[in-house]
Amino acid sequence: MSAPRMSDIASRSTRPWLTPAWACVLMGLLTLVLAWWVLNTHLDLSTAAGALFAPAQDDIAQIVAHYSWWPRLGISLLSGGGLALAGVLMQQVLRNPLAAPTTLGVASGANLALLAVTLMAPGLLAFGREWVALAGGGLAMGLVFLLAWRRGLTPMVVVLAGLVVNLYFGALGTVLLLFHQEELKGLMIWGAGSLAQNNWDGVMFLWPRLALGFGLALLLLKPLAILELDDANARSLGVSLKYLRLASLALAVFITGCVVSVVGVIGFIGLAAPAIVRLLGARQLLSRLIWSTLFGALLLAATDLMLQRFSGALPTLIPTGATTAALGAPLLLWLIPRLRLKTGQPQSQGIAIGKRRAAIGPWLAGLGLALVTAMVVALCVGQSAEGWQWQLPFIQDSMIQWRLPRLLAAGGAGIMLAVAGTLIQRMTGNPMASPEVLGISSGTAIALILTLLLLPGASQLTLIGLGTLGALMTLAVLVALNKRSGFLPERLLLSGVAITSLFDALRSFILAGGDPRGQQIIAWFSGSTYYVDLPTALIVSALAIVLALAARPFARWLDLLPLGATTASALGVAVLRSRLALLVLVALLTASATLVVGPLSFVGLLAPHMARFAGFSRAREHLLSAALIGALLMIVADWLGRQLLFPSEVPAGLVASLLGGAYFMWGLRRL
Amino acid sequence: MTAGSTLSASFVAQATFRTRTWGVLAALLLLLASTLPARAAESSIVTLDWTVAETMLALGVVPMGVAQLDAYRDWVGSPEMPASVVDLGLRAQPNLELLADLDPSEILITPLFASLEPRLSRIAPVTTLGIYATSDDPWASMLAATRKLGRLTGRPEAAERLIASTETQLAQAKKYLPENSPALLVVQFMDERHVRVFGERSLFQGVLSRLGLDNAWQGKTNAYGFSLVGLEDLAELKAHLVVVEPLPTGVEEQLAESGLWQNLDAVRRDQVSTLPSVWSFGGLPSAQRFTYLLVEALTQNERAEDV
Repeated sequence: MSAPRMSDIASRSTRPWLTPAWACVLMGLLTLVLAWWVLNTHLDLSTAAGALFAPAQDDIAQIVAHYSWWPRLGISLLSGGGLALAGVLMQQVLRNPLAAPTTLGVASGANLALLAVTLMAPGLLAFGREWVALAGGGLAMGLVFLLAWRRGLTPMVVVLAGLVVNLYFGALGTVLLLFHQEELKGLMIWGAGSLAQNNWDGVMFLWPRLALGFGLALLLLKPLAILELDDANARSLGVSLKYLRLASLALAVFITGCVVSVVGVIGFIGLAAPAIVRLLGARQLLSRLIWSTLFGALLLAATDLMLQRFSGALPTLIPTGATTAALGAPLLLWLIPRLRLKTGQPQSQGIAIGKRRAAIGPWLAGLGLALVTAMVVALCVGQSAEGWQWQLPFIQDSMIQWRLPRLLAAGGAGIMLAVAGTLIQRMTGNPMASPEVLGISSGTAIALILTLLLLPGASQLTLIGLGTLGALMTLAVLVALNKRSGFLPERLLLSGVAITSLFDALRSFILAGGDPRGQQIIAWFSGSTYYVDLPTALIVSALAIVLALAARPFARWLDLLPLGATTASALGVAVLRSRLALLVLVALLTASATLVVGPLSFVGLLAPHMARFAGFSRAREHLLSAALIGALLMIVADWLGRQLLFPSEVPAGLVASLLGGAYFMWGLRRL
Repeated sequence: MTAGSTLSASFVAQATFRTRTWGVLAALLLLLASTLPARAAESSIVTLDWTVAETMLALGVVPMGVAQLDAYRDWVGSPEMPASVVDLGLRAQPNLELLADLDPSEILITPLFASLEPRLSRIAPVTTLGIYATSDDPWASMLAATRKLGRLTGRPEAAERLIASTETQLAQAKKYLPENSPALLVVQFMDERHVRVFGERSLFQGVLSRLGLDNAWQGKTNAYGFSLVGLEDLAELKAHLVVVEPLPTGVEEQLAESGLWQNLDAVRRDQVSTLPSVWSFGGLPSAQRFTYLLVEALTQNERAEDV
């Protein structure tokens, strides 16, 4: 997949009168009006201004203004500015208008570090939460760099490495959360980004660091501008691209880390502010740097003030970070059609991994044998209150009742995800694509979460029905957005990223509220075969086989589509129609699988990949072997998840993520 | 525990021990002890819910299995869970094979676990006991649930005893409370900037109402009786602050440097009590524990002011 370039954002929507400067003025006025409006409910303006420096000690309203309201305004301006600055730097370095401070795994690394330290070594928190967060963010970024180093920190590989690290750390964090909901409830608020303040410490911590960051960014200005050239041109000017990228990314991560450690995870600002400023016509790096920082500061402040004004009546906190992330999703969707992406070029990179094997028969037989072995073990071996037990494979009630449904469901979901993954990887010519990335699983999950929250005690059937509805609605959005462009692979994937970010926002919003029902919801979206009974399991596995067979007639298209749109249509493939048909099939497969194992699994990404590594490169054999691997992976993951922490169960989707993510990082390093 | 005791150290330090208050505490303690059954009987009932589990123990019935036992010991703590009880795994996803192996006679859940019912009912009859999030008056549903549990475990008289002892305890405690007690704010810290403040539909509100104490939090609360707010939302309320432990790590140090916290009316006037942890979504045993701890804290505070 070719990275969409900075310069590819069209300027056609620029209106001549609305320059970045005017946008900042307007946003500034809006912020002022909102600030006055919020303040007015508590204090008159002059008293409030006086309270900024010297609050009257006997007036609690002034004390609140001094210790809470003013620092909150300050921190929102600083955080917004810092995130936007980091966003400009990352987008410049990665040459990708959709890069954002969270892209490199900084936020998820910081989050995981805080979760782990809170549980295992709470003494470390005494040094200050920000240092733990910075260390975690730094480690995550280090991992991303390590993965991408061999490829000279190429923008696309860095983004992918960041994506995988984010998913992996997210899965680890979810496991911790599943087992320690009570201990971690405070961190859920942090994870959703709350700007509430109760002294000036946060502001005092942030401003010198951000000033330093801004200064360093100005120093890097000239060499960074060179990055807009191609790699070859830039190198011929004598710039060490690797070290320049490293330095600029490290700076961006430092800024992000500082902000995140004080206020928690705040999405979208780092992405939106630079993108909007660019759409408004800022071209030079310097002007983008200045206006984005200013605009980001005002954008976050205005959003936060709006929340302060309207959220008072609700029994729960509306965290600013989750709100901005939720607002960011529609903006992303709006931005995508405005990106000019290159079309139809052959996307050979990475797809040709592994040599074609002449004799595939023995390999398939081996896979089949492994699958049968895994099924027998999963049926017969398990733990009970008395320890490990081996049940002879006679028909026993406990096997039929409890193990068989889970085995079938895991296998069926594995097949569906693997087939969907193969389809989408071949269709987009992108070895990193997966059904999860399309956002259909996220769409299903959003529908399921809302159902669980709004209709407590909903039946299994209701859940399935509404989950499918969610998948279909996501599909409709995908089709509506991508029809005009002819279902361009890159644009399709980006739409998926936007929908996934909406899901993330909803998730952190729910978790922050601390409702005990949150536990139920985490268990659901972690992906588990837990809720499947035998009839459902039979349906799932039958559906998996039917849908997998439905993919077979597409084999010719799947052999030709990776060659690029032009080549494919020259060879007689109706590109638009075939993409649409495949998309519907992928949606059906993903939705059915998500209902069983949740949106969080790497199987759809992993199975096709492993099949290709093993040398199955023709579409038909690729599909078959990926399906076998997918089933094998999920069955093993499900069994491991039930045994590892007996009697507690780790959901199969999470185990698959952890297994798959590790393999994937290893594969990425070798890529 | 250490964190909280330092917070309330000022009261303890100033406390002069007078016989009357000692008498109160001794009476309350005796009451608390009298509710604990002399010998608990094993049963073949399992439950996923901690509130049901603690109520069962208070009725003198030991459940066969309870979900997430480790966390029960950390978060509910008392009544203590005997070692014979089997851990069923996560509350949200108890281990079904293990459950089937145990072959319980009855599975008790709350509406929170409704989605599990079809699965669980294949193992044993499932009974739902609703306390929170089902009605606007959890106290009434708590009494109903306790009686229902008494019938299910064959100990209806134990349930009546538990209810009666709770009522006696509340009536006794009410007598010993200082005249004109200030309104209270019952909070639990999530981090140094956010608290859960308990109000309508909470266990703590139930106790406060029966003690004739005013809750200063009249804002909206969710189905579980709390509202998640920033500290600044409490600033303008005049109240005695009741902080329920545990405090998250580091919060005590951060509060020491928090300008807003230090300038809260209650903190300035030393009107802060810290209570050892009480399960905030608990049943009658938790209510008794909360009553005891609250009255202890408030009467100690009165002693401190008398000096």
